[in-house]
Amino acid sequence: MERRVVITAASAITPIGREREEILRNLLGGVSGIKRFTQQDDLLAPYLHSKVYGLVDYEIDYGFSRKYVKTLGPVSYYACQAAKEVIAQAGLSQDMLSSGRVGVAFGSTHGSPTVQRDIYEAFFDNERRGYAKINATDYLKSMVHTTAVNITRMFGITGRVIASCTACTTGSQSIGYGYEAVKYGLQDAMICGAADERDTTTVAVFDNLLACSTAFNDEPHRTPRPFDVERDGLVVGEGAGAVMLEDLEFARARGAAILAEVIGFACCNNGGDLILPNADGVIRTIKMALENACIRPEDVDFISAHATATKVGDVVEAQAISSEYGDRPVVVGFKSYIGHTMSACGAIETIFTLYLMQEGIVVPTLNLEEVDPRCGMINHSLKVKELPIAIASVHNFAFGGVNTVLLLKRWS
Amino acid sequence: MKFILGILKDEFEIVNPDLDANLTEAYEFDSIDAIALLEYVEEFINKPLTQEEKKRAMEIRTVNQICDFIESVLP
Repeated sequence: MERRVVITAASAITPIGREREEILRNLLGGVSGIKRFTQQDDLLAPYLHSKVYGLVDYEIDYGFSRKYVKTLGPVSYYACQAAKEVIAQAGLSQDMLSSGRVGVAFGSTHGSPTVQRDIYEAFFDNERRGYAKINATDYLKSMVHTTAVNITRMFGITGRVIASCTACTTGSQSIGYGYEAVKYGLQDAMICGAADERDTTTVAVFDNLLACSTAFNDEPHRTPRPFDVERDGLVVGEGAGAVMLEDLEFARARGAAILAEVIGFACCNNGGDLILPNADGVIRTIKMALENACIRPEDVDFISAHATATKVGDVVEAQAISSEYGDRPVVVGFKSYIGHTMSACGAIETIFTLYLMQEGIVVPTLNLEEVDPRCGMINHSLKVKELPIAIASVHNFAFGGVNTVLLLKRWS
Repeated sequence: MKFILGILKDEFEIVNPDLDANLTEAYEFDSIDAIALLEYVEEFINKPLTQEEKKRAMEIRTVNQICDFIESVLP
């Protein structure tokens, strides 16, 4: 049994805002969410070369009760807030949520690094209180599936749990695997997404790999610069994104508003190097996704590129896009607005794509002032313009050689 | 008793509980809360509980039983 899968709600917490209208306004206005990173954590922050970050620097009124807060690390606050908003937006009743027919596909890069640091302090405690220093709920706050199960706990969800943890493809995998769970009749609805909290260890990893942007520390809004000749690396960010996926007939039967349709998904591995981007792997993933959706390359109007603004990654992605699509679909790198939100990027970028698709408009890749000739063979978006997007593709690639492509169709 | 009621109020939002009521059924006091409460007990008696004492504590259901337990483990 194959069913059609639709998106009935979307919510994001991003460095350029939370509400749909706010996000659209900032995308259209070319507003960057990248700020000078001033957090002093007495750990890594003073030693980092990169001083910029995609910051969620506004207050969020969570309103969670104590009963639930006790197992939430920062990452799960983001996840549960995004989930709460899509549940409310989709209008799913408590009976539905607890029917066993609604599941959760949600992940993060590595749970909560903030809480993990608290746990590690036990090893360096001068008073030698040992394991007693580890709080009873620390594991529940920090474990790698903490976002998914805190969502199930908070909202009484009893369906299946899929907790992807594939770094930068976590969010897109969550949506993809949620799509498959609904498509093949395993669940009627899935809450899908990912979240990552503010974390200097992630910056340190990329800093040490010389993959972080450092040349614009005093002008944060000018970086990252996907596909630009002056790009000098990625900017780590924080945030969350969630979508509600439902079986089309299930959504129709309850009169839900339908925002878009998910028509295809593919995920594969490069089968080799765990770090270097691989054009063959990306091309293979694109082909698989098109085949999965039963569409042709010329049907795709818009591509949300992974586009981290690293020297090699952007060239490889441009080559792959050119190979499969030529120069027809408009290509945008949303990380230019919000940085690389790690696990959350696939979910957030899917939501941004959805918003633009609904509006029939595209925005430019921010900071793309002079296209790198090695990336020049594709159709870069350089300004705001009206464009009916019938079908959009969302690319994401991760450490470990994981590639994903999601295909969305406008709902009309 | 004063200590326990204070902890229940400040940390678990349980105010003026029925001293013989089942905390789980009456106040949604769950397993996570129980483990957290033991940490406060350890602070109060100023010594770590043994594994056996902790296992015994898992049988506790009421505020009065908590008080009895604390008396039994006081140094």
